[in-house]
Amino acid sequence: MSYAVETENLTKAFNGFVVVNGVSIRVRRGTIFGLLGPNGAGKSTLLRMVCTLLRPTSGRAYVEGFDVEREPNSVRRIIGVVQEKLLLYPVLTAKENLELFGRLYGIDGEELRRKVRDLLEEVKLWGFRDRPVGTFSTGMRQRLNIARALIHDPRVIILDEPTNTLDPQSVRWVRDYVKGLKGRGLTVIVTTHDMHEAEELSEELAIMDRGQVLDVGPVNELKSKYHASTVEDVFLELTGRELRDELSGRISGRGWRRRRSGPGSATLS
Amino acid sequence: MEATSLGSGIRHALLIARKDLTEFYRVRPRLVTMILFPIILMLLFGYMFPSSGSVSHVPIAVVVQDQSPQGLAIAQRFTYLAQSSGLLDVETTDSLSWAQQQLIMNNVYAIVIFPRGLGAQLSSGGGTVEVILDQLNPTLDSAVRGEIAQIFSQMDAPAQISAGFPASPGTLDVVFQGLVPGATGSFEFLAPGIVAMTAIVGGLSGLAMTFSRERELGTLDGLLMAPISRLSILFGKGIAQIVRGAMSSVIVFVISVALFGVKVYGNPLLMIVVLLEGILAFTGMGMLFTSFVSDQESAQLIIMMIQFPMIFLSGALFPLLQLPWWLRMISYILPLTYVVSAFRAEMVLNAPFSAIAPQVYGLAIFTVAVFALAVPLFQRAVTR
Repeated sequence: MSYAVETENLTKAFNGFVVVNGVSIRVRRGTIFGLLGPNGAGKSTLLRMVCTLLRPTSGRAYVEGFDVEREPNSVRRIIGVVQEKLLLYPVLTAKENLELFGRLYGIDGEELRRKVRDLLEEVKLWGFRDRPVGTFSTGMRQRLNIARALIHDPRVIILDEPTNTLDPQSVRWVRDYVKGLKGRGLTVIVTTHDMHEAEELSEELAIMDRGQVLDVGPVNELKSKYHASTVEDVFLELTGRELRDELSGRISGRGWRRRRSGPGSATLS
Repeated sequence: MEATSLGSGIRHALLIARKDLTEFYRVRPRLVTMILFPIILMLLFGYMFPSSGSVSHVPIAVVVQDQSPQGLAIAQRFTYLAQSSGLLDVETTDSLSWAQQQLIMNNVYAIVIFPRGLGAQLSSGGGTVEVILDQLNPTLDSAVRGEIAQIFSQMDAPAQISAGFPASPGTLDVVFQGLVPGATGSFEFLAPGIVAMTAIVGGLSGLAMTFSRERELGTLDGLLMAPISRLSILFGKGIAQIVRGAMSSVIVFVISVALFGVKVYGNPLLMIVVLLEGILAFTGMGMLFTSFVSDQESAQLIIMMIQFPMIFLSGALFPLLQLPWWLRMISYILPLTYVVSAFRAEMVLNAPFSAIAPQVYGLAIFTVAVFALAVPLFQRAVTR
């Protein structure tokens, strides 16, 4: 079977600080794959390598058979990414944002106009097309962010914490929309630390912690394997119940050191 | 490796440039600042300048064309008195064209010419010595003019005659004039410096700021995930900065000419070449900073630290001679110094290309070197 996304021992270290440690996952075409993990588990770093934003320290990653390191532009053409941060220009209008990204992906003319209109209607923003994005609510921005990720008809879409900071109505809309994407034949990868979201959306689930995949499989199989009634129980069984006071970002300055024994974490000395 | 065609690279770069300019246009405070900043700067300096300053050891050239014993004796006496003054440092030559070139390049600030036949003229009653001043430099102009006039008035003083110099047999007239015909004002020194400075400084700060802003917003990821060359992003943003820099310099230039009567004597094409070279060099430096700076605040601080001292040390606002020697040494390694001096020499002194060629070639080499360093560093920085 060929996979939409495949990683082999993918590792990323920043100045010797290992954030993703030998991750191997396979995502089947046309499915929704959930990536679950606490903050600082390495989910976003893993996906940033898959979508060509970061260069792996070692290992390989393929999207629809294209090597992310050797054929980055081929990967970029078939992948759409929705990050927690909005990849939109606040002083440009909704339409201008979509047109800009459409053109960067080589779409122009009537095709671009049609796509922009279809997508804005789909995400219920056609009526706001000429308004600057900076005036939008968080929910509206996230809907536009999703439209932007779909402007070039990607075959794989990655959503990194897509419902963070959204109100319940917007969360519901995003979750339903993501399910709809699967119906169109897209492969979807969703990262989240929301257990209900992971359970509701994912067909297959990988649980990550400290830069490593602890287990991966269909949601029901994982639940029965760990004798758990919910994904949350599986998650806590695998990652433990103690509080995580993880440090994220770059660490520098006096009084700080990196703890190399435990990837994905650092301590204050 | 995958390759993108030059045509699509340029198209993408232009697309990003247009986007950047649209963004810039939409944020009204930014747009208003861009227009107001040069206006305020020009009005402020236009009315405030000239200011007083203390100078010493001003280099001047003494051109001795008259090789008669009497002519040589007068030139020698002038040189002796000038060197003793503490204000002037004399370089003697017999080539007027060399001295003029040194004046254009700001290596000397006045030329005193002892013309052919001066000795004979003096024997028959009176002769004329010509002094060419760098009239664009108000502080130095008045100081040097006063000192030279005083020296000539002392030439026949008893103390000098007793020191071994013969008295002049006739009356010596001194005629002062500028290198460029017509009156030149103090603002003509300042205006080209501000034009160059305004155009260039944007390239340095603007690029680093726009990248750090996009990094913070997350929008840089959107560009980096598009199937386009990294260089298109870099150069697209560079083009937007060049357009902004050119717009600023046009505003300053128009105000200089329209409000303050600054005259343009030089070749407009050479002026544009020097300015564009400067903008490119500083855009390259902006790219270099972009590779190291990740957030807006850091970008702002680093650029402030570099930008302001550079402006004051470049000679854009006041003569380098007013600086202590050690600061002058620093100014000679700053690219802005060369842009300002070449642009000023061309705009107001109508310098021939040969006179500004060292600056033009030097800036070209500097620009190529900066880009050669900045481009790979930028590419590495965006795909860590």
